[in-house]
Formats: sequence, structure tokens, C-alpha cells
Amino acid sequence: MSREPTLKRKTALSYKTEEKTVMRGYSLSDLAEEGYSFYDAMFVLFQDRIPTEKEEKMLKYEMGVFLEHSMSPSAVGAIGVSAGRPNLPVCVAAAVSTFGGVHGPGAAHGYMLNKYLEKGFKEGKTVDEMAKKLVDDYMDAGRPVMGMGQPQHIDSDPRAEPIHLKQEELELEGVYLEFQRALEKYFHARRKEEGRSYVGVNVVGSGNTALMEIGFSPNAGWCIGSVVRGFSCAAHALFNMKKGRAWGASRNEPMVQMIDLSMIKYVGPEDRIVPKQEERQEYAKKQKEEGEYKKWVI
Amino acid sequence: MGYLDKNRTDALNREKRERGIGNLDSPKNPFDYYEREYGTVPQDESRAPFRWVSEVSYKNVHRIVARGYDTTELMEEGYGVIEVLFVDYQARIPTVEEEKMLNYVMIMTLEDGLSSPAAISRIVARSKTFLTQACGAAIMAFGHAYGAYSAFGNRMDGYLKKMEEEDLSLEEAARQLVADNLHDEALGVSNLMLKDPAAQRMVARAEKLGVAGKYIEFQKEVVKAAQKASEEPVDLDMLGATAAVMLDLGFTPEATWSILAVTRSFGTGAHYIEEVERDGFLRLGEQLSPKEDYDGPEDRPVPPLKDREQFARSAVCKSPAEWKERFERMKEVRGSGFSIVEEIEDPSKKSGTKKVGRL
Repeated sequence: MSREPTLKRKTALSYKTEEKTVMRGYSLSDLAEEGYSFYDAMFVLFQDRIPTEKEEKMLKYEMGVFLEHSMSPSAVGAIGVSAGRPNLPVCVAAAVSTFGGVHGPGAAHGYMLNKYLEKGFKEGKTVDEMAKKLVDDYMDAGRPVMGMGQPQHIDSDPRAEPIHLKQEELELEGVYLEFQRALEKYFHARRKEEGRSYVGVNVVGSGNTALMEIGFSPNAGWCIGSVVRGFSCAAHALFNMKKGRAWGASRNEPMVQMIDLSMIKYVGPEDRIVPKQEERQEYAKKQKEEGEYKKWVI
Repeated sequence: MGYLDKNRTDALNREKRERGIGNLDSPKNPFDYYEREYGTVPQDESRAPFRWVSEVSYKNVHRIVARGYDTTELMEEGYGVIEVLFVDYQARIPTVEEEKMLNYVMIMTLEDGLSSPAAISRIVARSKTFLTQACGAAIMAFGHAYGAYSAFGNRMDGYLKKMEEEDLSLEEAARQLVADNLHDEALGVSNLMLKDPAAQRMVARAEKLGVAGKYIEFQKEVVKAAQKASEEPVDLDMLGATAAVMLDLGFTPEATWSILAVTRSFGTGAHYIEEVERDGFLRLGEQLSPKEDYDGPEDRPVPPLKDREQFARSAVCKSPAEWKERFERMKEVRGSGFSIVEEIEDPSKKSGTKKVGRL
């Protein structure tokens, strides 16, 4: 049996021998034996350092509060995939992969803050000035300000402000929290000025601020947030696999199922005759000329 | 929208019947194709409308609740990821010892060098993807050999049940399990950890914390039985230790599978980042596959299309003997799939005990 890795790479993350597995120089077994927490290990993995107790507590809070979010795109993705009854990891993989430009866009938020901090640093502007500039730039351009608003928790995300408060309680206030708080201030003020409704900070806005403050890069923070959600999505998929019906279309269930035929609403072109091959060329040319099809192009 | 009205339906069907559409009007069809409806099924108002049903959690505008506990309140009270895993999967708060043990297991699972999940994450990373795609792909590396937690756990449950039903001793049940599965990747006993004490240390920690139970006890018997049956030195491996501990913590085999696959995915996120930092991205067509690694047919001319019948060889077999001959021949064609056997079943209730492997 060959124990050679499939992929040969130089890596600063870890090595594994017959004797031990070592991450950033620390034996994993020794880390666990010494009583470090899983949260501590995340700092070692992504930042090559043991965190302070307060930083460890902050990460514990942030990951714990983000883990479960009931029906979000990630859980719905996991449940949808589970309907075909693949192996469970496939459902979880789908769930984690739903995190993109809108659902939990942690990296996007982080890069946004970093970009304006960098710009402010170069131009000698204060954090407060840069937060205002960010809000104005984004809102002038009609772009969504990352970290603000949540389509389900419409007046305030129940996790968001408590994360800010925890960060303050743990005295982990740094440049990121200062920036985020200022961003929220200008965001609220501008919406009010424009006569628009209140939109609160969401869990990315506060959670990612905390993650950045305790030293994680935008992508490391995104990894932590997205992957921790995988735990609960797996539970949702598993519940459906063990206690629900495969396919999600059974007509024998008392409740109409997820993909029951009656759930389909079709708004496309009307039913039409398929042209014979001998009619095809003329038919196709006419279709192109008339251009009706263009309104259906996606 | 609902079904199309009768007049339009009849008109469409009449026109299609007159035109004819391939084999759709064949008398072999158990239906009259030209009598079929158009449009979508009307909403079913005789049953309750669809809702997302969950035992795990709910949320409203102002709170997120898992198994009855508000998750923000859980954090404010000092709980974390480890406890929420018990809440989500077992609807309970773990003891301090259980929390410590799961913490230990998750640290041990976080990183595993350049094993399959990390390799997949790195490969996906080089296509310039989102990090989340790479982390998702890494989770898919968990199967019934690598990270075979469900296969391991369901097998243990099966033999423990057999032990009760047939009044076997733990030792006898372990002996049977080993006799039936000595060379299976999900045995939890192998030659992988002969020099690394990590698996033994994990079990010792479980015992010290008082969370070791029937699964660890059974796995120890499995180790003894495997050591007697095996011709080479073998011992408890990481799969065996980790899975037995997780089962003793009350997690089902499937819960164990998903929790540990996700835990490893954090590590693969770091591999994604490092891959991008060190090596950048790959374009379509950039990577070559050296001919010295190729052992397929020799280079040969493509036959002219007009001569295809001369060269073409039909796969249609007219008799079982012909079929068998072709089947055996195709086993030699690597990549054709003929030398693989699988029994793909619904893994809803338990997974990993079906046969998946080479013929």
C-alpha cells in the first residue's frame, strides 16, 4: 500500500508522518491533550498562532451563533439535494457551496473593509471619513453595502448586534469595529435622509467584523462562517433523509410536498408544435427574424 | 396556470395526430399520446400547503431556535459550536466531559496533511473558484473508505444487534465482525497507526473523561480479533478511535460522518488559500498529460467517415454468452466501468454497508 499523497505540494500548513500529524509545528494530538479548544486550533490553522483567551471566546461565540439558521439557502440546498438520496456528504457539500455573493458573503464584506481601510491609510483619512466614503460610493452606485440587511430578519438580525456587544464586552474593539460601527451610522443616516426604511446590520456585517478583528483574512473568515453552517445543514438533510420522503413529491403525504407537480408555475412560451426536420430550416429562420424568442433568452 | 383549456388542448392534439410524431403513436405504447393534457397540475387544495417541516430548528424575524433553544441565548450563556452540535443532532446540552471529548475529536480531525479532501480543495482552487466551492468539494471526499464513519458505525450497530439477538459474547461478536470484514477499509483497525499513538491517546482520553462506552469496548475487542486474524501487525487506527468515541458520545453514524467531514473542511479552506497564494490559477488546456503515463491503445488513424461500417463494432449482444464474452473483454478497457460493481441503494436510514468496489 502506497501512502504517497495524491497531490505533491510544498505546504506550510501541516505534515503527516507515520508517527504524528503536525499543524503549523504543533502536534495535533498534543494540542488536544493540552486542553486547547477547537477554536484555538482555528487560529493555529489560519493564523499560525495561539490566540488570547478573549479572542478564543469571541470566535466561539461567532461560530456558535452562526452554526444554525433554520431555512436559509444553505439548508434548503442540503434538503433539496437530499431528495434524491445521494450520500450525505453530497448534501452538505451543496449546502456549503451555496455561500456566494449574497448568502453569507463574508469574504466580500472583508475585502470591502480592507479596500477602504487601505485607501484611507494612503490618503491620510480617518476611519470615520472612510466609512462615510464607502457608504456614499456604494449607495451612489446602487450597490448593496455588504453586511447590511437580511431578507428574513427584516428589522434586525437577532445575532448581529449581540456579536458587536460581545466584541465590546471582550474589549476586542479595533479598527474593524470602529469602521463597521461608523459604516452603520452613515448607512442608517443616508437611508433616513432618503426616506427609506430601516435596514439593520446582518450577521456578516457584525460577525465578519469580529473575525477580521481577531486576525482572520477575508477568505479565512468566510471559510469559518460557511463551513460551520455545514454542521446544521447536515442535520437538516439527515432529518429529511431519516424522517421525510425521498423525492419530496409523494401524493400520499397529508401535506403537499416540496416538488409536488402542483408547485410548478410555468410562465414561459405556450405549448407549440415541434417542426418536422423538413420544416426546420424555414421555421428556424422565421423564428430568428420575428425575434419573439429574445424575450425568453436568459 | 393549471391545465390548458379543452378546446386548445383538443386542437393541439388533433394537429399532432394528423402530423404524426415519430414513434409516439405506436400501438406498443400503453397510452394514446394524442389524448394527453397540456399545462401544469392545478394547485392541490385538498391537502395542506407545502411547508418546510423541521424538528431541528425554526426562525422568525427576531430569533433563531434550535431544538427549543434560542441560539443567541445559547451563546450569551457561554455555549459554543460543540454544544450546538449536541443540540442539533441530539436535542440536548452535553456534559462538560462530553464537550471536552468532542472538542478533542474535532481538533484531531481538523487537519490531515495532503489527504484527499485537501487535494480536492487545492485542485478546485486552481480553477479560480470561490473558496466555498473548494470547501464543498472537499466534503465530497468522504466516502466508505476515506472517512468511512457511517460504514463503520452502521456495521458496529449491526453486530451489536446480532450479539443481542444471538446471545453472543462481545468477543464472539467481534470475532465474527472481523471474519466478515478483515480487509474492509472501514474496519477501524489497520497498519496505519503502528507508530503514531494518537488513536490510542484519544481512546485513553475518552476513558479518563468517563465518556467511553459500549462502542469503545466493542472496538477494543475488534482490535484484538483483528490482531489474531491478520498476518501483518495491525492496531486501532484513527477511523476506529474517532468513530467509536463519537458513537459513545451519542452521535449516529451519519451524524458522525457529517460532523467530521465538515470539521475537516475548515482545514481544506486553509489549503485552498495556500494553493492560491503559492501557485495561482490554471487555464483550460494548460496542463499536459505526459505520454509516458499513457497505457491505452497505440496512436492510430481515424477511419474516414464513409468507411465507418468497416471499422465499427456493435455492442449489441444477441445471446447471454455473447454478452458475457463482451463483458469480460470490456473489463480490460480501463475507464469503461465494467470492472466495478456497486449496489446503489437509498442511504436514508443508514449508509455504508452496501457493496461498492472492484470486481
